[in-house]
Amino acid sequence: MTTPAVEFRDVTKRFSGVVANDGVSMSVEAGSVHALLGENGAGKTTLMNVLYGLYEPDEGTIHVRGDPRSFDAPRDAIDAGVGMIHQHFMLVDDMTVVENVTLGNEPGRWPLLDGIADHAGALATRAGIHVGAGPLGRRVAAVAERAAPAVDGDSARESVVELGERYGFDVDPDAVVEDVSVGVRQRVEILKALYRGADILVLDEPTAVLTPQEVEDLFSVLEELTARGKTVIFITHKLGEAMTAADAITVLRGGRNVGTVPAEATTREELAELMVGREVLLDVDRRPATPGEVVLEVADLAVTDDRGVRAVDGVSFDARGGEIFGIAGVDGNGQAELVEAITGLRTPESGRIRVDGREVTDESRRDRIDAGMAYVPADRQERGLVMAFDLVGNGVLGGQHGAPFARGGRMDWERAGDHARAVLAAYDVRPPDPTATAASLSGGNQQKFVVGRELERDPSLLVAAHPTRGVDVGSIEFIHDRLLSLRDEQVCTLLVSSKLEEVRTLSDRLAVINEGEFVDTVDPDAVTEEQLGLLLAGERPDNVSSTAAVTATRTGGDGNR
Amino acid sequence: MIDAPRATVARLVGGRRGTIAGATVAVLVALGALGLLFPASPAGILARAVFAAGTVASALRLSVPIALAALGGIFAEKSGVINIGLEGLLIVAAFAAVYAMDVTDSLVVAFLAGVLASTLLAGLFAVVCIEFRADQIIAGLAVWLIALGLAPFASQVIYEAPNTDSVRTVPTVPELVGSLPSAGDLPVRTDPPTLGVGVLDAVLAVVVGLLGRVVLFVAEVLLASSLSVYLMVLAVVLSWYVLYRTRFGRWVHASGENPKALDTAGVRVDRVRYAAVLLSGVLSGLGGAALSLGLGQFTGNGATMVNGKGFIAIVAYLFGNYNPVGAFLSTLLFAGLQAVQNPLQLADIGVPDPLIRITPFVMVVVVLALVGRTRLPDAAGEHYESGEE
Repeated sequence: MTTPAVEFRDVTKRFSGVVANDGVSMSVEAGSVHALLGENGAGKTTLMNVLYGLYEPDEGTIHVRGDPRSFDAPRDAIDAGVGMIHQHFMLVDDMTVVENVTLGNEPGRWPLLDGIADHAGALATRAGIHVGAGPLGRRVAAVAERAAPAVDGDSARESVVELGERYGFDVDPDAVVEDVSVGVRQRVEILKALYRGADILVLDEPTAVLTPQEVEDLFSVLEELTARGKTVIFITHKLGEAMTAADAITVLRGGRNVGTVPAEATTREELAELMVGREVLLDVDRRPATPGEVVLEVADLAVTDDRGVRAVDGVSFDARGGEIFGIAGVDGNGQAELVEAITGLRTPESGRIRVDGREVTDESRRDRIDAGMAYVPADRQERGLVMAFDLVGNGVLGGQHGAPFARGGRMDWERAGDHARAVLAAYDVRPPDPTATAASLSGGNQQKFVVGRELERDPSLLVAAHPTRGVDVGSIEFIHDRLLSLRDEQVCTLLVSSKLEEVRTLSDRLAVINEGEFVDTVDPDAVTEEQLGLLLAGERPDNVSSTAAVTATRTGGDGNR
Repeated sequence: MIDAPRATVARLVGGRRGTIAGATVAVLVALGALGLLFPASPAGILARAVFAAGTVASALRLSVPIALAALGGIFAEKSGVINIGLEGLLIVAAFAAVYAMDVTDSLVVAFLAGVLASTLLAGLFAVVCIEFRADQIIAGLAVWLIALGLAPFASQVIYEAPNTDSVRTVPTVPELVGSLPSAGDLPVRTDPPTLGVGVLDAVLAVVVGLLGRVVLFVAEVLLASSLSVYLMVLAVVLSWYVLYRTRFGRWVHASGENPKALDTAGVRVDRVRYAAVLLSGVLSGLGGAALSLGLGQFTGNGATMVNGKGFIAIVAYLFGNYNPVGAFLSTLLFAGLQAVQNPLQLADIGVPDPLIRITPFVMVVVVLALVGRTRLPDAAGEHYESGEE
């Protein structure tokens, strides 16, 4: 048996009384992809931060390639060949790719002196003397390089280009980071770790921010890396990804290792049960819908994005009470702008939006909320929460104008507190402390809180963009269940998600959007994966029948029932 | 790849900054043309005032403390510590330099004393902000208020007045060397040789005359400038090099934009910030020393002789978009407006003196209103602690 690349032995880490890791032992085989699976708050990230030297373990040891190591700072971990790719990228946005990759390890150069030294060296070589070729010469050269103040930009660029080519990364070395896509940024982060000589790469929720296509690309990058002898540990709460990309899977629950299984020999159900500690229903049990009156009417809507490009181009549809209308599409095809136009965050170029027969196209957010519109935004931190507010304050957002939380310009904080507590309890937000700030919650718990607040608004129309983004399986099950029961209460739901699985299983009708236009509206139960793939790419397979008309007639029938 | 430098140029020239720079150049050119065409008009008087070597020399002289403090401010703010205490650093340096000059009569020691005093105060500011996580704005104001009280008080103790005794000033190059010719003696010709061909002669006369005049003008300005001006130019160039071409410059940038990125890359953010704030002390110290030693006295009445220069420095580097060269140019704009005041007041062009006197400050307001959207470093003003989530 070969020495494991990384081995944790009884690692325990506490934060002011709370145990984040409780005697975790696990070993990661060199040259493999190892997934660390667990719910939000299971202690996955803490464990990896211990490995990376950001936290010191209270108990236990970490062995890297067989040697016990303790890292006081990331620098030590980097020197030992451990590289970390954080969930929130550690990149300087207005620097170029090369500058970011080499940050902290810039190749040095002595201005003026290096030129002189090169010339002298060349002359000496011509004269038959080899300066700097001996061990002493090399040492001097190395020390001089490390102490050099100036950055050798050419050599930095060269080594980044060379690295990118070796691992088959498609990254423009001179692009400014803020101008490139999330997928590219992630590759820059991986390059950064490789540049520092990492052979153990830790990726924290690497797929959370990626489009399905980018996830595919990432997995092939991981394959390439392990093929070249690197070891990859990736943190995830997505069962499917762990099973697709990993060789072995370790499941954490409540800070403990509850089992390591080889990826080929396990099932989704087994993993889910390990993760949650009880049996989880992965397949949504969707009862047939009973669509009622039309709630949301969108007609010929055209919306331009921030760059002035038309992102939504002539979209029309009706969504009824008691149905979930799903919109599937590859991210960046206009879903975001469509949702913003409907919710009143972006003024459409042209077209009409009606809610319950009332024209709201030119109405404000406040009017729309009053009209019964709830909204789960795609970006919880940017749009869903005020990070510095506590959960009581966040819980009333959107409802601060009137009853039940405000009267005559004064807030009823007692009622707001009760409300926050109720949401926390119902949606299993951890920790259930209404006085905690939104910023102190983990991403998944923030999401649960936002979903809870919006769903408890008692809406007639719910616009949900990626409602389960960053949420673990147990909570996904719960949120899906809530969405379906709202549907049964005759709420109209517009569901946008980049998870195909999610929109397919939840939606009663599914519209596919491509480059700002609806390619087709289909019955999610009847459409095959291949057909859906073609639709997503903007092509129309011959044998798919649009359901827009079908549903309309079915609704007629339902109305008589 | 090829687009990168072009984009940089576009960023520098484009936008409102470019508009203001362009407008300034256009006004200068128009003024020059009007002055040549109508020497007797008010425009002519103004042109003569603006294009006099004395005016340019005094604009450079007035720029020295502002530009140096601005360079210091760039380092601190780029690293994420907003140093609005520049004014205070200038004050203590100005006093310390004059006192050291009075005691030792050595230019070098005087400058070192100014730098030392300012760096100590900057060090205190750094400890309070970085170690004890104080609010940077409040700590910066405290630095100013401390200096505003301390320097005149020290002067009162030592010289029994808020103003110090007079000391030797910073020499110009001719003063230093002792025997350089004045600009008029330089072997530069403005009268071309005649070739006998009418058109060629005329062209030659214009070209040689113009070139000769420009060379003479530059020489006159340089010879009239004190060593402080040379020091400032050197500091601008060096600062630019350090910020854009060295590792430390990269780290300063990253420390202000995304300290966590720097930390995880294995560079200690607190050290980078300490270094940057201390550097702002060193540069402001040079500026303060140059200011008081330029006049040979520290005057401590009211707002002291520094009189808001540290705050103008902040505007200058914001307008210059944290680029040392940009900061220097915007300083020159403010100082230039101040420098034309004297000749204008003397020339009596029918505009009341008080109106002329407020032009630099009006310009500051106009610039601030127009630029408005300077892109601050993302983490400027925020405390950073390694290992915190």
